[in-house]
Amino acid sequence: MRQLPLTSRRIGVIAIGLALAGGAVACGPKSGSDAKSGADAQPHKGGTLYVLNNQAQEDFDPARLYTSGGGNIPSLVYRTLTTRNRADGAAGTKVVPDLATDNGQPSKDATVWTYHLKDGLKYEDGSPITTADIKYDIERSFAPELSGGAPYLRDWLVGAASYQGPYKDPKGLSAIETPDAKTIVFHLNKPEGEFPLLATQTSFAPVPKSKDTGTKYAEHPVSSGPYSVVSNENNGEHIVLKRNPNWSAATDDQRKAFPDTIDVQSGIDQAVIDQRLSAGVGKDADAVTTDTNLGPAELAKVTGDKSLASRVGTGHFGYTDYIAFNPKVKPFDNPKVREAIAYAVNRTTVVNAQGGSSLNEAATTFLPQQAAFGYTPYDPFPAGATGNPAKAKELLTEAGYPNGLTVTLTHDVTKGDEQGPEVATALQEALKVAGITVKLDGQEHNAYSDKIHNVSSEPGFFLAGWGADWPSGGPFLGPIFDGRQIVTGGDNFNNAQLNDPSVNNEIDAINKITDLKAAAVRWGALDKKIGEQALTVPLYHPVYKRLYGKDIKNVVISDWTGVLDVSQVAVK
Amino acid sequence: MTVEDIATQSFEGGAGALVPAPPSGARQVWRRLRGRPAALAGGAVIVLLVLVAVGAPLLAALEGQDTTSYHAGLVDSASGGVPLGHFGGVSGSHWLGVEPGTGRDLFARLAYGARVSLGVAFGASVLQVLIGVTLGLAAGLGNRWVDGLLSRITDIFVVMPALILAIALLAVVPGGFPRPVLLTLVLGLLAWGGFAKIVRAQVLAQKSLDYVAASRLAGSSPWRTARRELLPALVAPVLSYAAVTLPTNIVSEAGLSFLGIGVTPPTPSWGQMLSSATTWYQADSAYVLLPAALLFVTVLAFTVFAEGVRAALDPRAASRLRVGTRAGRRGGEVAAEPATAPAADGPAGSARTTGTPNGGGTA
Repeated sequence: MRQLPLTSRRIGVIAIGLALAGGAVACGPKSGSDAKSGADAQPHKGGTLYVLNNQAQEDFDPARLYTSGGGNIPSLVYRTLTTRNRADGAAGTKVVPDLATDNGQPSKDATVWTYHLKDGLKYEDGSPITTADIKYDIERSFAPELSGGAPYLRDWLVGAASYQGPYKDPKGLSAIETPDAKTIVFHLNKPEGEFPLLATQTSFAPVPKSKDTGTKYAEHPVSSGPYSVVSNENNGEHIVLKRNPNWSAATDDQRKAFPDTIDVQSGIDQAVIDQRLSAGVGKDADAVTTDTNLGPAELAKVTGDKSLASRVGTGHFGYTDYIAFNPKVKPFDNPKVREAIAYAVNRTTVVNAQGGSSLNEAATTFLPQQAAFGYTPYDPFPAGATGNPAKAKELLTEAGYPNGLTVTLTHDVTKGDEQGPEVATALQEALKVAGITVKLDGQEHNAYSDKIHNVSSEPGFFLAGWGADWPSGGPFLGPIFDGRQIVTGGDNFNNAQLNDPSVNNEIDAINKITDLKAAAVRWGALDKKIGEQALTVPLYHPVYKRLYGKDIKNVVISDWTGVLDVSQVAVK
Repeated sequence: MTVEDIATQSFEGGAGALVPAPPSGARQVWRRLRGRPAALAGGAVIVLLVLVAVGAPLLAALEGQDTTSYHAGLVDSASGGVPLGHFGGVSGSHWLGVEPGTGRDLFARLAYGARVSLGVAFGASVLQVLIGVTLGLAAGLGNRWVDGLLSRITDIFVVMPALILAIALLAVVPGGFPRPVLLTLVLGLLAWGGFAKIVRAQVLAQKSLDYVAASRLAGSSPWRTARRELLPALVAPVLSYAAVTLPTNIVSEAGLSFLGIGVTPPTPSWGQMLSSATTWYQADSAYVLLPAALLFVTVLAFTVFAEGVRAALDPRAASRLRVGTRAGRRGGEVAAEPATAPAADGPAGSARTTGTPNGGGTA
């Protein structure tokens, strides 16, 4: 059971799901950006918001979308049992009720979760939303015709492992009960204290069975949110949304829905998006992007221009880029060698190679720097910002390499990639100072991903990155360090192939905790315990910066998505 | 006008002009070259570039820098890593500034980059000449079947999209193979078709001449005939064509490195630098301009020099080509840049003749 890996590629998928790739948000440094706009910054209803994106919002069907927190554009159309809190920064990592009255009532061991719907919930055609429709969408997400969604429920629901969806198996999933139109009960095969976080995904949106058109449903889905779909051309390349008159703010305290119309155009080159947003001519003044970050050179240009700098949103999406070791390959079986590398690493040059301190924060912990993930500051190999080559040499001598050693670092050849040649050469140079000669082995993007995720071809020393499907330590540490998640045929993310019973047991124990704050503390402690083994060397956490149009108001960027929230933005 | 035309015509010219005694080799060529300031300037630039490439370690040592050291203090980390200071961080210790993000010294990287650019281009040209001349000779001297087979193979290599094939080849070769050598091999092994065609045409034309026939009748083996009688006649066309293909090879290497399949980091090359620099054109224009300008100057120098060499090796053909009439034969030697001259009193006719008065008029 893999808990959804987030390699950067996977993140790409999610991002699409989000309609905003794992981007970040936050206007200005972290607080509401509209404060800068002065007194008449009050957002008003009306107007058209334009979204300029690079990647198309493909597979708009709620069963197929792989989103974190319900996505950005999708969450305008689909409401879910729970959703992410629409607030700036850390407050945005909380899960809050959406269609449901609360975040769910767990049974004592967190294996049974019960939800009740709010009163007065309607679809865009005025018909009532029922729990049977939510169950139906979850069943659809198991259909092979509607593939693409997150795989968690197949692992978690009792007896769901081989379910083939409602088209082939109309009897449905017995693990989900709907005793009445407003109640829904989930039976899980193991404790999952983070179930409310999963219930933010669009597979928990209602789909009325009578309106289901199978694979064509994405063209005209029945909206439960503040906007309905006017058109969806070329599989999400151009989506136009208009206000849904049957949505009521009285039942939805999360989405603000200021604009009357939202026009999402994708397939635009990223440089063009940045250029159009900075020029802000005509309609582009009312535009935002949900998938295009500022690169280093663009940032250099923007920081030199005050009027542009005030229109940059900054966000943090929980993500860590790190050096991964495979201790089955010599000499990385020797902890002293791994520790020597951890001491030799110069995080300043790595951060600079990736665009500098505004786009990356140096990392010494595997968990991202957010409380929701259980962030506990620690640095088992304190080498300062620029590394400690003397200490590294000392450790190498102890390890039996008094004259240094030669190793191969495998990396992606894609320029600018987080696992790309810029980071690899920065590390090569830093390790050289410590007497470690690094040979670079650059691999084509897809070949690289295949190579590092297959235990039979996994190199000893390579670059990797990880993000999670929701802000918590579970989906962050589980796939990387849970010994039962080692996959032998490919798609393995436990790079160190760590199978330590004490780690596995602790993961199980934390999954039983339904108090997310208490769980976070335990995740942080576990991270520290694993970090001391130097199985990975955390390098940096990326920061996302994006431009938005001149007339955009009410920019909200949560630490959950790291991206400006389209449901909060106003153009008037 | 293809090089083949030039070669053929030069042969005709050569046959008709036996009277004024053939040029006595290098000295004659040098004398003609001296009369062409543009070609001399191009040659001087080339010499300078070669010196830079050969002396890169010395130059870097003189500056006190190397190609790989990072200088985190010289870039503004909070602003995307843009170099601090003017013109991309130019200073007494970094003569041409530093690279954004890393702070690596640009002067050292450009000097070392010249080694890759020129080395690969020279190596590939030599390889192209060797393969092309060998196969062209074999085709020209061989029987019908050998000629047919080799000519078809040559045709295939001529029409093949070399760049695309090079990309495919570079992608499949394992990373351990030394990259500059690989680039040289790929460029050299793919783009020899033109040489083979020129040489074959030349051989076919010479083969039927009396002096070659005499050599054969005297009992020379084909190999001896080729070496003693034919090769000397091939020097001019092959050298001319090589001078034209060399800048093409420089551009190809830069193109492949630009696409990310050239030399591997941290080895610097101009194409690779240009590739990393493209996004910086607004924030740090010096970073883009340096490799771009160097590449431009290099290719221009080689092209101008090649033009001069071609004309010096065979002034009659060169002038006739420009002039398009036999009237230009004599003047060709003086007419370095006829294309710029207005066609005030030139002979009427095709567009090509409008540039001729210089050639014809000076006679």
